[in-house]
Amino acid sequence: MLYREAGQFRSSYAEDQQIFPIRQDRIGIALLLVVAFIVVPLVGNQYWLSAILTPFLILALAALGLNILTGYAGQLSLGTAAFMAVGAFMAYNFVLRMPWLGAIPSFILAGLCAAAVGFVFGLPSLRIKGFYLAVATLACQFFVLWVIQRWGWITNYSTSGVITAQTIVLFGYPIATPAAKYLFTLSIVAVLALAAKNLMRSETGRAFMAVRDMDVAASVIGIPMMKTKLLAFAISSFYCGVAGALYTYTYLGTVEPEAFTLDLSFRVLFMIIIGGIGSILGSFLGAAFITLFPIFLNVFSGWLSHLTGQDISHAVISNLEVIIFGGLIIFFLIVEPNGLARLWQIAKEKLRLWPFPH
Amino acid sequence: MDFIFFLEVLAGGLLAGVMYALVALGFVLIYKASGVFNFAQGAMVFFAALTYASLLKLGMPWWGALVATLAVMVVLGVAIERVVLRPLVNQPPITLFMATIGLTFVLEGLSQLVWGTQPHNLELGVSDVPMESLSRATGINISQFELFAAGVAGILVAVLAVFFQYTRVGRALRAVADDHQAALAVGIPLQHIWAIVWAVAGFVALVAGLLWGARTGVQYALTFIALKALPVLILGGFESILGAIVGGLIIGATEKLAEVYLGPMVGGGIESWFAYVVALLFLLVRPEGLFGEKHIDRV
Amino acid sequence: MILSVENVSLSFGGVRALQDVSFDVKEHEVRAIIGPNGAGKSSMLNVLNGVYHPQKGKIRFRDKEFTDMDSHEAAALGIARTFQNIALFKGMTVLDNIMTGRNLKMRCNFLQQAVWFGPAKREEMAHRRAAEEIIDFLEIQHVRKTPVGRLPYGLQKRVELGRALAAEPTLLLLDEPMAGMNLEEKQDMCRFVLDVNDHYGTTIVLIEHDMGVVMDISDRVVVLDYGRKIADGVPEEIKNNKAVIDAYLGVAH
Repeated sequence: MLYREAGQFRSSYAEDQQIFPIRQDRIGIALLLVVAFIVVPLVGNQYWLSAILTPFLILALAALGLNILTGYAGQLSLGTAAFMAVGAFMAYNFVLRMPWLGAIPSFILAGLCAAAVGFVFGLPSLRIKGFYLAVATLACQFFVLWVIQRWGWITNYSTSGVITAQTIVLFGYPIATPAAKYLFTLSIVAVLALAAKNLMRSETGRAFMAVRDMDVAASVIGIPMMKTKLLAFAISSFYCGVAGALYTYTYLGTVEPEAFTLDLSFRVLFMIIIGGIGSILGSFLGAAFITLFPIFLNVFSGWLSHLTGQDISHAVISNLEVIIFGGLIIFFLIVEPNGLARLWQIAKEKLRLWPFPH
Repeated sequence: MDFIFFLEVLAGGLLAGVMYALVALGFVLIYKASGVFNFAQGAMVFFAALTYASLLKLGMPWWGALVATLAVMVVLGVAIERVVLRPLVNQPPITLFMATIGLTFVLEGLSQLVWGTQPHNLELGVSDVPMESLSRATGINISQFELFAAGVAGILVAVLAVFFQYTRVGRALRAVADDHQAALAVGIPLQHIWAIVWAVAGFVALVAGLLWGARTGVQYALTFIALKALPVLILGGFESILGAIVGGLIIGATEKLAEVYLGPMVGGGIESWFAYVVALLFLLVRPEGLFGEKHIDRV
Repeated sequence: MILSVENVSLSFGGVRALQDVSFDVKEHEVRAIIGPNGAGKSSMLNVLNGVYHPQKGKIRFRDKEFTDMDSHEAAALGIARTFQNIALFKGMTVLDNIMTGRNLKMRCNFLQQAVWFGPAKREEMAHRRAAEEIIDFLEIQHVRKTPVGRLPYGLQKRVELGRALAAEPTLLLLDEPMAGMNLEEKQDMCRFVLDVNDHYGTTIVLIEHDMGVVMDISDRVVVLDYGRKIADGVPEEIKNNKAVIDAYLGVAH
């Protein structure tokens, strides 16, 4: 009875195609933004801000990038971490060598570098598809990491290969506290998420989905294969690159190439499978799930230890985590291939009828 | 340039390639029979090796451990087919592929949960020293172990080739690989066949696991061997047993040669990506592999 | 004469799909291509559309000659088509599918689309209006937001026609548009095809097996058999043509 659309008429195409056509949704998202931007930084404690919310946002951005490429455009990629690495290390170099640029332009340039790498490694997609393409992206993943490890210039000749993020300054204000980092990340992610949504509901998004669903038919009706696929790789890599830069500057602080291994690529892939392939909301839900689940598991096993008086070792917990993730992937693929996003949609549809059963 | 050294590197590479081919064989079997690209093959190799090594550690005699592990692998194969693949039967290949990625993680976590995370040693009775008769005769040093592995792989490939070509079950497998509907129409029990295929793949995983485990020790890194099998499959084609061998040999050889001869020029470590780049270049020229079948998209 | 096919031959390896086929299509007419199964009809349509490239012969479309036109060049020139086995984008809604047909008319780049407000939004709304006109025309308003994969076969065929129409084509190629439909659906589809021809002036080339439909709606007919043209003329002539009757009855030759 709260979630009724009765009385909400759309009298123009623009109203019909807005991101949140239902008024209750608009109120909901407004509230969410108020809480996220204003309430959380004031109220949140350091642990939550720096260890949970900020990495959640960063991984959601990476998941968004991968979703654009794999979920919307249908090009399977296992190289997400490599693109993040390019963004991370290039951001470091821009801030280091051109400090007059400022934080935002440096991040944008870092993202563009990642986009360029994505463009190059996306070229094979013109000839190969499906899991063959996945192997090509694996080549990218391993090769990029190798370059970063070997090329001294990129780590400023640091002997250990570790780079330490400098404090970035935004319009004269240093981003140093957890709250500041959180807000900085949140703003960037919010803007990029909006841009992604706009892109996906425009012709670009339709072209991506056409290529995903039946690329032969897409090219017959005039959609340019090469441009579309390469654009998908470039945009996706840009998002992952910015995520990588944020990963370094607002989360980890010190970063080495080993932070961006194949494991991270798989984690992001899991996020979009669980969250929902081809869904902006799904990227966030999946990232939230994968960020929060280990914590939940820790708390749960702690509670279980209390209850049974037995100690559960860390190794057991981390193995259980891996098993459950893998199991959930399979579960979602069987039961609800469209992931949490679809479950959310179903819940909303049920809510429209509530309190009536049907 | 030292020709003897070149031969040794080449031989080493070819033999490493044989080991890759063994893992690739498991992929080919499952792909041939069900069209599923089993990303979890590496995890199966790891699981098999770990089970065997742990059973040995618990005091079982080697033949007992072998039989027990084989039984476990067969049961695992059947379970995978029933729990993971059957519900996903009509889904697009990409969904199945992602399910096997999930499966990989389940197997990896399960292996370490059950058997612990310590690396294990695996002794097969053949040591990794140069074969004396050969080095005395020709001056070339080639490891006994690698020759043994090549021999085992050769026998396995021959057995599998005969199995596929001449037995009734093998024929049924080929029929299923070609066209599920048609196979059903002539009365081939699809589910039994898939169970058999996964069991055989499990057996191949066991052989690969034992050989790899003896060579590098049974540890988590073993799962990454599976990734190396991908370039092998790309070169050889996903559906060809012969292709898996040839692809493995080529990848093994070129990778080793590149590492030894090109590596020092660029700082080493080429092995981490060289095979994939070779596969990538190959894909651009001949996407279906040396022995694969051309795939035509019809609208 | 808007289209002329001149001595086109097409082979796949050893299989000769088309042998020395020539015919023309007048502007604004409805031209049917008929023939027994395997005659090469779909191959002919694929050649017209740039999906296959003939080994011999030429296509002349509006005074331009082609031997190896690409399919998206054809689309850009104003040739649209539907497919025998529906080639819709199953993951998108009806509206989105039809909007993809407008892709060649969209000018905004992706950066403008990312911002949305301004030129991108205006363009999107303008094209939405055009798509809605087609949706009205084809009477599929009630399913405009339904994912295409969930629609019954007859409606999917209609959506595919809509997508082809969205491109405002000069030449429309229809590959068995009535296949698998019952009588009512066929009547609706005929009505749509004729309306498109009348209302928009689109030249139509269609492949069809239902002789009743062919005789009723086409202006002229080409008959193919084993890759060769065996008859060409108005429906009345074709109906009584001995070679055509023999081909359909399977008389050995």
